[in-house]
Parts: sequence; C-alpha cells; structure tokens
Amino acid sequence: MFKTTGMAIGSMLLASTAFAATDITWWHGMGGRNGEVINEISQQFNAAQDACHLTPISKGTYEEALSSGIAAFRSGEQPNILQVFDAGAATIIAAKGATIAAEDLITGAGEEFNRENFIAGVRNFYADSDGKFIGMPFNSSAPIMYFNTEAFEKAGVQPPKTWEEFEEVAPKLKEAGYLPMTASQLTWMMVENFKSRNNQQFATNNNGYDATQGTEIIVNDENQVMMFEKLKAWADDGLYGFYGAGWADNLKPFEEGKAAMWIGSSGSFGGLQKSADFDFGAGFMPYWDSIEGAGTQSFIGGAALFAMAGKPEEQNTCTAQFFSFLTSPETQVYWHKNTGYVPITEAAYEMAKGEGYYDEQPVAEVGIQQLMLETGEWSKGYRLGFYPQIRTVMEREFNRIFSGETEVKAAFDTIQQEGNALLARFAKTAN
Amino acid sequence: MQKIKPFDHLILILGVLFLCAPVVMALMSSTHAAIDIHSNGLSLLPGGNGIETYTKVLTHRGGFTGDVTGLLMLRNSLIMGLGFAVGKIALSMMAAYALVYFRFRFATLLFWAIFATLLLPLEVRIMPSYQVMSELHLLNTYTGLIVPLLASATGTFFFRQFFRSVPDELLEAARIDGAGPVKFFIDILVPLSKTMMAAIFIIMFIYGWNQYLWPLLMTTDESFYTLMRGIKSILQVWVGSQIPDYNEAFALAVLAMVPPVAVVVIFQRMFIKGLTESDK
Amino acid sequence: MTDTPLNMVEADQTLVTRLRAWWSGETANPAKRVQFDRPLTPWLFLLPQLAVVVIFFYWPSVQAVTSSFYLEDPFGFGATFVGMENYADALNSSEYLGTAAFTAFFCVVVTTLALGIGLLMAVKADKVIRGAESYKTLLISVYAIAPPVAGLIGMMFFDMHMGPLKDLAAFFGYDLKVGINYWDTATALIVIAVWKQIPYNFIFFLSGLQSVPVSVREAALIDAQSGWRRFWDITLPLLAPTAFFLLVINITYTMFDTFPIIDVIVKDKPANNPMTLVYKVYLDGFKGNDIGGSSAQSVILMGVVALLTVLQFRFLERRVHYG
Repeated sequence: MFKTTGMAIGSMLLASTAFAATDITWWHGMGGRNGEVINEISQQFNAAQDACHLTPISKGTYEEALSSGIAAFRSGEQPNILQVFDAGAATIIAAKGATIAAEDLITGAGEEFNRENFIAGVRNFYADSDGKFIGMPFNSSAPIMYFNTEAFEKAGVQPPKTWEEFEEVAPKLKEAGYLPMTASQLTWMMVENFKSRNNQQFATNNNGYDATQGTEIIVNDENQVMMFEKLKAWADDGLYGFYGAGWADNLKPFEEGKAAMWIGSSGSFGGLQKSADFDFGAGFMPYWDSIEGAGTQSFIGGAALFAMAGKPEEQNTCTAQFFSFLTSPETQVYWHKNTGYVPITEAAYEMAKGEGYYDEQPVAEVGIQQLMLETGEWSKGYRLGFYPQIRTVMEREFNRIFSGETEVKAAFDTIQQEGNALLARFAKTAN
Repeated sequence: MQKIKPFDHLILILGVLFLCAPVVMALMSSTHAAIDIHSNGLSLLPGGNGIETYTKVLTHRGGFTGDVTGLLMLRNSLIMGLGFAVGKIALSMMAAYALVYFRFRFATLLFWAIFATLLLPLEVRIMPSYQVMSELHLLNTYTGLIVPLLASATGTFFFRQFFRSVPDELLEAARIDGAGPVKFFIDILVPLSKTMMAAIFIIMFIYGWNQYLWPLLMTTDESFYTLMRGIKSILQVWVGSQIPDYNEAFALAVLAMVPPVAVVVIFQRMFIKGLTESDK
Repeated sequence: MTDTPLNMVEADQTLVTRLRAWWSGETANPAKRVQFDRPLTPWLFLLPQLAVVVIFFYWPSVQAVTSSFYLEDPFGFGATFVGMENYADALNSSEYLGTAAFTAFFCVVVTTLALGIGLLMAVKADKVIRGAESYKTLLISVYAIAPPVAGLIGMMFFDMHMGPLKDLAAFFGYDLKVGINYWDTATALIVIAVWKQIPYNFIFFLSGLQSVPVSVREAALIDAQSGWRRFWDITLPLLAPTAFFLLVINITYTMFDTFPIIDVIVKDKPANNPMTLVYKVYLDGFKGNDIGGSSAQSVILMGVVALLTVLQFRFLERRVHYG
C-alpha cells in the first residue's frame, strides 16, 4: 500500500518536473502482477534519468496488443515500443520497415551493445539469420520438468534426465500410486522443444530464418513421430495423462499431488509454491539419449520488445536508452525475482547468484541453466509465419491422437501438409 | 382477476435458480482467497476474506499513473453505458419512425442498409474501423468510444417492429386533429413507447457498460479505463506462473452488477405501465 | 405445361409493377396503412442513424471486404492480389465445412432453447403480479454480470478436475470431459450460451406482454376457456412482432456474439473441440493476423446470415400480424 502510494506521488512529482523530457510509449500485453512490475520498471527508468519519460500502457492480451499495434501502425499512431509474443514474432519481423532492429537502434544512439552479454538461449530467437537482434528479448522462459519430491522418494527412484530413464522410472511411480507424468502445451513442449532439446531441424531454410519464400515445416519425420508414439503408448499404459490443450487442466493433477512429474514453464514455480502443499523440485526437460547430438538448449518462450519505425530521432534515442536500462543487471534481477521470468544476460544471472537468490529458490535457476546449455545447429530458434494457426492445427491433431481417432503418423502428415499450406500463404503476404 | 397458480411460481423459481446460481457463486467466491478458488473451484458458502477483498478493490490505486481506481473505472463505464443507451434510443427511434410512418423513396432499401450492420461484427472490421477513427481524430475521446458502437441496427429494428404494431387509428385520429409528424412523434408515439424504451435502455446500457475490445483499441490513456478492462487485466496473468486474483475479479464483477440492476429498479415503474388497476 | 408461360408473364408483370411501386415508395405491403407523405421529413429523422452507419460501418466494412481478395502483410507493406483464392481456401477445407455444420446446429439449438425458456418465464412472470419485479431484477442481474467473469464461472462449472457439473455427471456414471470430448464441449457451450441469452429474451418478451392493452387482456379472459388456448390465440399473435425481432437477434447472437464463450471454454486452444465460424474468423484474423483469409471468411459468413435473414423476412414476417 505504502509502496504504491509512494510511487504515485513520485510519478506526480516527476510529471511536473519532466516538462522538457521526451515522451515515449510502450504497449504491452501483460496483466496482473506482471503488469504491475512493468509499471514499476518504467517508474524506475523515469526516476533514473531526466531526458526521457516512458509511459507503459496495457493493451490487453498478447494478441490484442499485437493487433492494436498493427492497427495503430497503419494509421501512424504506433507506440515507440511494442511487446510481441514468440509465435507472433515472424509476423512483425517479416514486415520489414515496421520496426527498427534493436541492435541498430542501440548502436545508432551511441550506446554500447554486445550480443555476447546475453545468455546463449535468448541470443538468436528474435535475431535475424546473421545474429543481429531485431527484437529485444524481454520476458523469457524455458520448458522444464517439475517433480514431486515425495513421489520419487516413495517410488525409490531418481527424476529422469532422459526419456529412456523416464521409461524405467515411470512404472515404479505408477506402482507407488502416482500418475507418472503430465505436460502442458504439447506444441511448445513436445514439438518445438523436442526439436531444440534433441537438436532436430524444424523447418527448411535454416528453420525459416533465411527466407520466408519456400520455407517448409518438418514434423512428420521419424523422430518426431516416435516421440508421440511413445506418448500415446505411455498414455495407454497409464504412465502419462493427457488433459486436452488447456494449460491449467494439465497442471492440476500435479498441483493436487496426483501426478509425479509435470512439464511446464520455468516461471511456474511462483504459482506452484502457493498451490502445491508438497515439496517439489525441477530439472531440465528430458531428451532422447538415443538421438545423436541430443541434449542441447531449449527455445525460449515469452515475448520480446520491438522498436517501431516512423518515430522522431530523439524518441528513438530514448527507446534505445530504455533498452539499455532494461538489460542492466539490476533491472533484470528485479524483473526475474518479481515475475519468475529468466534474466536474459549473463551479468544478471551472476548477480542473482551472488545475492544468493538460488539458494533460496533453487528451482528458479533451472530454466536459465537449461538455456545456457550447448547451442546446437537447430536449437537457436525458428521463424515461421502464421505460426499461431499452425499451433492450432497441431492441437487439433493431438486431441485426435489421444482420443484414438487417428494414428500418430497420419496426424503428423496432416500437420505437415496444412502447416505448409499456411506457410505458403504467409509467403504471399510478405513484401 | 387472474388466478395465481403455485405452478407458475415454481417454474419461475426453478428458472431463477438455474440462471442465478452462477451469480450467487460469484458473490460467494468473491469472499474467498484467490488460492482457495484456484484449488477448490467455486463456492456456495461465504468465506472469510470478503471485507479485505472489497476494500482492496475499491481503494486500490492501479495503473502506471496510480489514478486507476474503482471510482474512475466506474465513472468511465457509466459514461459508456449511459451515452450508448441514450444515443441508441434517440437515433433508432427517429430512424424507425421515418421508416414506418412515412411514404418515401428507398424506404425498404434504407431499412436493409441499416439492417445490414447486424451482419458484420466489430471484431471483423476492427482494423479499418480504427483507421477511420484515426482519420477523424477521434482516438482517445468519449465520442470515439461511443458513437461508432451506435452503428448497429438492433434498436432500429426493434422500434420498427413496435411502431408497426401500434394501431393505425392513432395516426388517423392525430391527422384529423391536425398534428404534424414531429408533434405526433413527440406527443403520442414517444409516450406510448415507454415500456419498450425501458427494455431497450436496460439492454443497451449493459451492452455499453460491458464493452471491452473497442475501448482497449481506441484509447491509450489510463484515464479511459473501464471496469471491464480492470476485470480482464486481473484475470489475464501468465498461467501457472501466478495465481490470478480470482477473488478480486469476482468482487469487481459483483460491484459492476450494481449500477445495471439499479437502472432496472429505477425503470421498474415504466415496465409496469402496461398493467392497470383492474389486474390487481 | 400450358400454365407455365402464362405464369411467367404474370410474374414479369408483378416484378415490373413491384419495382415501379418500390421506386415510388408504394410497396405492396406498406409498413402502415396510413402514412405521412412528405418528401423531406423522413430524411431528417433518418439522417443521424444513416450518418453513423455510413461513417462507422460502411466505410470500414468496404475495406474489410476489399482485403478478402488480397493476401496482405498486416502492417500494410505488401499485398498480393489473389482473387477468389482466399474464398476457395476456406470453402475447400473440410475443417471449415465441419465448423459450418456445427455452427448451424449450435444456432438452431441455442436459439430454440433461449427463446423458449425466455418466453415461458416471461409469460409466467407476466401472470404473477406480486414478486414479478423481484424475478425481473434477479434475471437482469444475470444479464449484467461481466462477460469475462460469466465465462470464467461457466468454465469453472464444467472444469474437468473440480467442476460441480463434472461431479454431477460422475454421479450418474458419466465421465464429463469438457475440452477433450467434442460433444461434452458442445454441451457446455450450449448451456452457457443459452444461460447468457435467456434474460435478454425475457426482458423483451415481458415488455412485449406488458404493452398488450388491458382491454385486450380482459376480452381474452372472458372469451377463451383454457390458459393455453388464450396464449395460443391471443397472446402469441400479439407478441409476434417482438418474437420475430428476437428470432433474428438470437440468430445473430449465436452466430456472432458467442465467440468469447468458446474462447474461455476451450482456453483459447480450440484443438478438435467444436467452434463456430466467427470463432474461426477471430482465430485466423485477430490472433493469427491473416487479414485476407479472415476477411474472406467473414464475407462468406455475412452472405449466409444475410440469406438467412432475407428468408426469415420473406417467409416468417408474412405471418406476423402487426396491430
């Protein structure tokens, strides 16, 4: 209470003194506590310097924020900064001229920029094929495996590191009275990050980075099909529980202590600490030992900030300053601790570690460590147009697989075919 | 004169139970802690966090400026609801009057031209609509928030239906008395339509009150925040990473029901106009 | 055989006369037997509504329709003219046709239930004088509850882990799996959509009933014997204009305004759950930024609903007797 009032007063004072400051705006798609932290960070930025005044505004959900930004851009009313989620990144990056590459913006404003400062897993996802940052990575997370400590103790087994190990321990967990595993958002976990963790190619044209024209998705390959045939077999044997496409529906059995493992987001630990009344730990998302070169880092999820084009020079300078402020270790650690998203620079990670944060919250470190694993040829990211629609196709086929309406191979053939049709359509929209 | 059968009440009570149970559960759930709602679902019994939640919802100063209070959101929602309902009734009564009571060229065509607005929802044409608003410099204005929503045929269609069922003798009598179109409209038709106006006022008030997407797109200033945005923003958190403050969303929704229900109570007398002493 | 040419001539004549009559404003079936006959006044009354409709509906809508012939980068840099390709893509997809079939089913069921229950309750509330106001106030409160919260409550009722309705179904030995089983999800969508729409129908039916003149009510009481006959012979014809209005509005409601319910129930991931055509438009256009494709889908949808409406006006409104 005191904190917010204090801040409100602070902002009033600032508003009166900041008459000469350049105003910049930031549209984001976050609500609840995360939305508040965005406000706090903006206050901190405004308090830290006099030249720029940043106003963040919530534009609903990620999709609503992107649509608002698009509508505004077409009318010349765009904000300086727009937050765009992972699956929508291809849309805004393909629209050359809509944004200024974050790296160009920062160096152009005379600020320092070094790609190597960022942790490996976030370095490429929003960059172009040469590694130049187009979007500024902001809120990032990784898919990790949570486990119920008690369940594993009861079954007398260790949490699995690979899917082969899972196949060994799962029956024992089942004997101990647990559902061995559930997983949320199979598109993110078992397709996209199956590709990254096992270093598998996801699409032609260098996972879509090199060109929009002619990019084709690769999902009906032997290994991808094998992953889902295993999942289906595990589901039939009671080793894996499938609860539809909803995130929370798949999390619930773990929260209730019925499921021994849950594949979820690295940021989920904050909510779990409130909703689960048992001890839990976390480990990397499993990979297949049998696949050569597996065990690489995962893709990030979340969103990035894009600097919109068509703004005056002095505003762009302010945007650049804010991007630099955002990547400072202090801001990153503040964001990391308050929201559960991973810090995006190595310095911030070291700082949080130095403060002993991971001694209190060991689970918070898992996602970062997974993102810092070795980078494989195919673990940098993917750039696919109309990707939200492709995910929808996948979700539909996954429901069919687990209800027995279709075979795994047939389902992935359908995804491949419909996905490529969508990509071909997207290629026609690009300039 | 009519007999009241217990059976009638039974049907009504059953209907009300089916329809109102969720509302009651929203009210009860709003007095529980968020984590409780997350883990156990809706409640039929009150919990212990009511005062705390409602105090927070009413006094919390949210947003970047700290100006987003329950009161501000309430005010904006009221402006949306009232502006929309009043504008809608005025525009659509006049249009329906012209379509029903006048013989002129294109009457049918114009009816269909207005009617067609029911066929393409705002979500579909939202991008071009935004561009139009930007060209007219109506972004971040109450006019821009309310007027575009008036472009829908519901009211016109409704009043057309009603006017057509008004006995022709009224107009004949009025013409014999020498009343012109304006006088007939204001002195006879408007008073006659009170029940209908009350019904459409309530519906339209709630419609304006509950707007979400259009205000979200149209405004970039926190001073335009409405209750609906407040509610959505509470619920919209990164699933799994945090537990949404369900209790606060429910509390806001319960509070948001008060003004529309108050409108109903105020308009209650108009509703009853159709009944007279002989029925009692 | 011999009749055919004769009929055709007749039909032609009617068409010409009808067109001529239409041009001069004399339709065969005018809105009123007696009308004002002034050239300018109606335009003055119509002007505000027309201005709003043209500026805020037709202007943007024309753009929306134009974009259905393009494949367009949402930011407005590139657009490829593709002619009817967007339409062909939509209509050739078996997925799209399945969605269309469900939409039709959904529309019929929701409209019938929402109108039927709303009418039943309005008739009963009209009869009971004491307590009618409380019933009305209670029902309005249902309509007034904020849509996102209404959706959330609906979702929690049907939750596959802790929803009360799941428990109820389990009691009868049925495993209710909303979000996984197609028809379970369909049931949830129908219940919630009907629930949200009943109060709307109730309010309009009740105000329709209460605007029936007292003299008519009294005459009806004396003339007719049973309550059912009285309802069928007297009340229903008087309600017909309202009922017709509500029928059209309910159809557009189920077609266009139910997509937020679907979004909440499927947790914004439809997978292979049922959805309506508008939800697909929302998914492709608003979430997926496929402007051309979603515009084409909306135009198809607009055509279908327009056709439906014309049919209703043509065949149903004839039976509606206005005062």
